Amino acid sequence: MSWIRERELSFIERLTANILKAGPMPKHVAFIMDGNRRFAQKAHVQRQEGHSQGFEKLAETLRLCLNLGIHEVTVYAFSIENFKRSKEEVDGLMELARQKFSRLLTEHENLERHGVCIRVLGDLTLLPIDLQQLIAKAVVATKAHNKCFLNVCFAYTSRHEIANAVKEMAWGVEQGLIKPSDVSEVLLGECLYSSNSPNPDLLIRTSGEVRLSDFLLWQTSYSCLVFQSVLWPEYSFWNLCEAVLQYQLSYRSLQKAGDLHREGQALQQMEADRCCVAELLQHRGNGKPMDAQSRQKELLNYTASREERVHCFLNALQHKRDTAPFLPRRAAASV
Amino acid sequence: YNRYIYAKMKHTHAALYLLKYIKQSVFRRNNSRLMEGILKQQQELLGMDSSKYSVEFMKNGTDKQEHQVLSCQSVVKVLSPDDGRLSIVQAAQQLCRAVELKEKTSKDINVTVLDSLLRESKNIPDPDLVLKFGPVESTLGFLPWHIRLTEIISMPSHVDVSYDDLFGALQRYAMCDQRLGK
Repeated sequence: MSWIRERELSFIERLTANILKAGPMPKHVAFIMDGNRRFAQKAHVQRQEGHSQGFEKLAETLRLCLNLGIHEVTVYAFSIENFKRSKEEVDGLMELARQKFSRLLTEHENLERHGVCIRVLGDLTLLPIDLQQLIAKAVVATKAHNKCFLNVCFAYTSRHEIANAVKEMAWGVEQGLIKPSDVSEVLLGECLYSSNSPNPDLLIRTSGEVRLSDFLLWQTSYSCLVFQSVLWPEYSFWNLCEAVLQYQLSYRSLQKAGDLHREGQALQQMEADRCCVAELLQHRGNGKPMDAQSRQKELLNYTASREERVHCFLNALQHKRDTAPFLPRRAAASV
Repeated sequence: YNRYIYAKMKHTHAALYLLKYIKQSVFRRNNSRLMEGILKQQQELLGMDSSKYSVEFMKNGTDKQEHQVLSCQSVVKVLSPDDGRLSIVQAAQQLCRAVELKEKTSKDINVTVLDSLLRESKNIPDPDLVLKFGPVESTLGFLPWHIRLTEIISMPSHVDVSYDDLFGALQRYAMCDQRLGK
């Protein structure tokens, strides 16, 4: 079935949506879609059917988010840890993914109408080659769409993502594009798989579990976390509204915390730049102390050159990523 | 403001690592008062046994032991927001310097390498449980790397928290079923 369900809101749903929209609304919501298997048990159906219904719910929820003006959704579809499941279940999930990504390639018109851009985040080299190729095609097919964004985390864990970001920065150093002192919180964020998205405003986990399970650990540091006991295949418009309401209640505190954090980041960067300049001047120095004005000028020059370096590095990184999907390959042996 | 108390229960021992996390503005201003407060509470609650428990202040950087440990059954570590993302950034800088000096290559960097580096600088075990006090539903930057499997239980307020409240939270924790991906 389709990636984005046609789902009109009923009168009372529309009323509720309008009331909610009078307050601050999240622009980016992340979902840990937990509970497919428990749902299958409850409904006395096969696990595979539970996962299938889970996908249907994803399509419907994406539509509901659009109805609420939420234009970016990130979902945790398959964790690297899930490879530990039985071969039967893993194969079933890979087959479901093949079906869905193939389907995506056939409903181009529908996706274009809604302007849906689909991205897949994770270590895709861990997937079967044919699935890698399907995903690459799907991502390219919707790349130009920009009305709403669906980020599917597949073969993903946050720790892998963070370690990969560090690896990319180290690659940048190897290539002579950046210096180790250019490494910062902001730069690390730009090297994550999710660098094209703002951080999620709201993270929702269903099925009653109250942990993050290695999902978007870096990006959700200042997000509103909502844990709901409903099983994912049973997720409703009302559950979504409940979560958004929780977001609205925490909004002010989170904005303040976020602003404070960003201020801290800016101060840290300035301090780091000052240290680098001081070091440079020492090396270059002829013993004469520099006046405040010249020091300030040196600082501005240094900051500008650092930003230029980082800009080039990020372009090179983007280029590397753009060409990578065309080279599906087997995963390296190490973990 | 929120305070976060993180408890790790070992199955075989009753040892508790309490990681206390205070928001930046409070921490910076009331550092010494906070220390006084903790020590006073220690004496009041633990009485004769208070010498068995050490309190460490972790400020981003060195892991200095400020008090002599006589017998370590319980550890209280007080963290700040800088111990979160910033620690990961510092580890990243360290790895990048190693790469610059050709001591490592970028291909050598993976989860295991980053994890051991983080543990080297700050010996904080992954919390099993986060007790979050206050109405704000967020981790506010608390140890993002370490909390990947941590159960997060919310409590309404840190003011007048009773033993029963705490015990109730631990009971909830005991009912959590971690499938670890399986």
